[in-house]
Amino acid sequence: MTGRGRLVGLPALALVLVGGVLGVELAHGGGRFEPLRSADPCVARKVTSQAHGMDALTERLVLLGLDGAACRLHLSREALTLELAQPGPRTDAEVDALRAGLLAAVQRMKDDGTLPPASDLVDEALGNADLNRFLEAAIRALPDAVVDAAVKVDDVLTRTIKDLDLRSILGELDDQHDLNEQINAAVTRAVKASIVARLRDLL
Amino acid sequence: MRRAVAPLLAVTVALVLADSAVVTLALPDILQRLHTSVGQVAWVLIAFNLVLGLAAVPTAMGFARVQPRLVGAVGIAVFAGSSAWCALAQSIDVLIAARCLQAVGGALALVGCLELLVADYGERRGVATWVAAGVVGTASGPVVGGLLTQAFAWQAIFVVQVPFAALAVPAALFVPARPTLPRDRHRPAVRPNLTLALLSAALTAALFLLVLLLVDGWRQSPATAALAVSVVPLAALTARPLARLLRAPAEVETAVGCFLIAGGLVGLGIPPSADLAWTVAPQALVGLGLGLTVDRLTAQAMELRLPRVHHAGWTIGARHLGVVVGLAILTPVFTADLQDAQTPAQEAITSLVLDAPLQPQDKIAVAQALGRELTDQQGRVPDLHRAFASLDLDPEERPAAAKLERDLDGQLQRAATRAFRDSFLIGAGLALVALLTVLAPRRRSS
Repeated sequence: MTGRGRLVGLPALALVLVGGVLGVELAHGGGRFEPLRSADPCVARKVTSQAHGMDALTERLVLLGLDGAACRLHLSREALTLELAQPGPRTDAEVDALRAGLLAAVQRMKDDGTLPPASDLVDEALGNADLNRFLEAAIRALPDAVVDAAVKVDDVLTRTIKDLDLRSILGELDDQHDLNEQINAAVTRAVKASIVARLRDLL
Repeated sequence: MRRAVAPLLAVTVALVLADSAVVTLALPDILQRLHTSVGQVAWVLIAFNLVLGLAAVPTAMGFARVQPRLVGAVGIAVFAGSSAWCALAQSIDVLIAARCLQAVGGALALVGCLELLVADYGERRGVATWVAAGVVGTASGPVVGGLLTQAFAWQAIFVVQVPFAALAVPAALFVPARPTLPRDRHRPAVRPNLTLALLSAALTAALFLLVLLLVDGWRQSPATAALAVSVVPLAALTARPLARLLRAPAEVETAVGCFLIAGGLVGLGIPPSADLAWTVAPQALVGLGLGLTVDRLTAQAMELRLPRVHHAGWTIGARHLGVVVGLAILTPVFTADLQDAQTPAQEAITSLVLDAPLQPQDKIAVAQALGRELTDQQGRVPDLHRAFASLDLDPEERPAAAKLERDLDGQLQRAATRAFRDSFLIGAGLALVALLTVLAPRRRSS
């Protein structure tokens, strides 16, 4: 090997090796292998649920509501979820943003036609409600069209969200029983208020 | 017995220098078994390298008038005894104290073995054997440590050293070496020792951080990680034949070695996924670089310099203080980055759980189990499998839950890889600074 070859051979080989290795890595996404970035909560996302009936409605409402609240608070949906999962008092801003987010979620579901009619939910709702057996049987006997005309789901949800003590609910997220009791009571009150309001409108 | 003396002494040199990084793969196991923190467990490595680095030169200085076989035998005996003490340690403080004593014995053993190998093999072959044994020990330490940890326990790393060292004690006493008092005294070779120190600091990223990433971040078993990092010593072995083939001058070889180490560390910092295959080529670059530099620089630092043992002390000091500097720079960086990685990792996990195709009540159960696991594993990469194993899911939900678990593990791997990136890039920077010390123009002697 010539003197020049001895000087240049090894450095040239090293440049090829290092360039090749780094080039292949970068071409396959090297340097971008990072955790998933949170999506912008202000951009509407498609929300689906594996559940049916009330559970599906609640899940979609909560997920859309979280997006709306996070957008108002200038946080990611994930950061807000982690924040709400921590024990401790909630700020007024958090409570107000969550309520506004849930109300906006109801409006969005109404606008895009994804709110189920009341007749789809009535059996499940009656199972959860503490009603007189005769009254329950009478409501079950009503035709779907009558139920859907009497009870508007968006109105019930809006009344429920306005009525709920979100600060108290957020403080007791671990107590599933108490949470269900509070929500069922609020939904029952909202259904009654909604029917009364409908009757008043008719009269 | 006569023929076994030099190999036993060479094995002792390799064992002492392997101890610099041999516990690396055992650190997660030690962390768990001795109930300590990442910051404290790093001292199992730092203490050994710091004491060895600081003790090497004074030991070599004080060695001049003493029988080499006595110093060698005492050093090896102390090394063997303290290795046994390390294996018996029940707390991190005791383990660190035992490692300090092990380093003192190691310093005595290294300088003693150099003189004994020269007495047995002659000047050129004796020094070459001592240097080569050191390179083999340094490069293969993490591999051997990982395999022993997986096969037995972290204590096995220290237990297996005891019989080899115990056999080396009579071997050292067998060599009729005399203390040499040369008339010439040369100043330490600053440039090769400085380059060695900087490269050792850079190699810390490959030998220490890579195994932590594989075991703690990518959840590989110590044995798998050991096999993965065996690429470095294997590549180091191919460096010398390659250098002979291309016959580059010594300075060019050293400069290229520094560049290859820097390139390999950048490669380790930017893998496209957590697949072990992506570490092979960058490790091969690091191994080639190590093989081209460490023995060459050690030989340069000792060549034709007297007293030989003083200069050996300087090279040991430079290498091990370099490792300490590397650990001192990199440990706080990667522990802080690991801490910072928690928030994006938790948000990514939250996002996947919220959008998972599971029933709402199962999502809540998953979230609660993950929350408990994340709380229990503050400061470490959590093991999410325990959270999923604790769930009582409907059989129909299990495939979706299994996919969610895989996706969440993927997010943790991403977060850990990102957290180690800066440390690998700093290691690459140190290798480039080492390259500058090679390329810097020499002062002309008049």
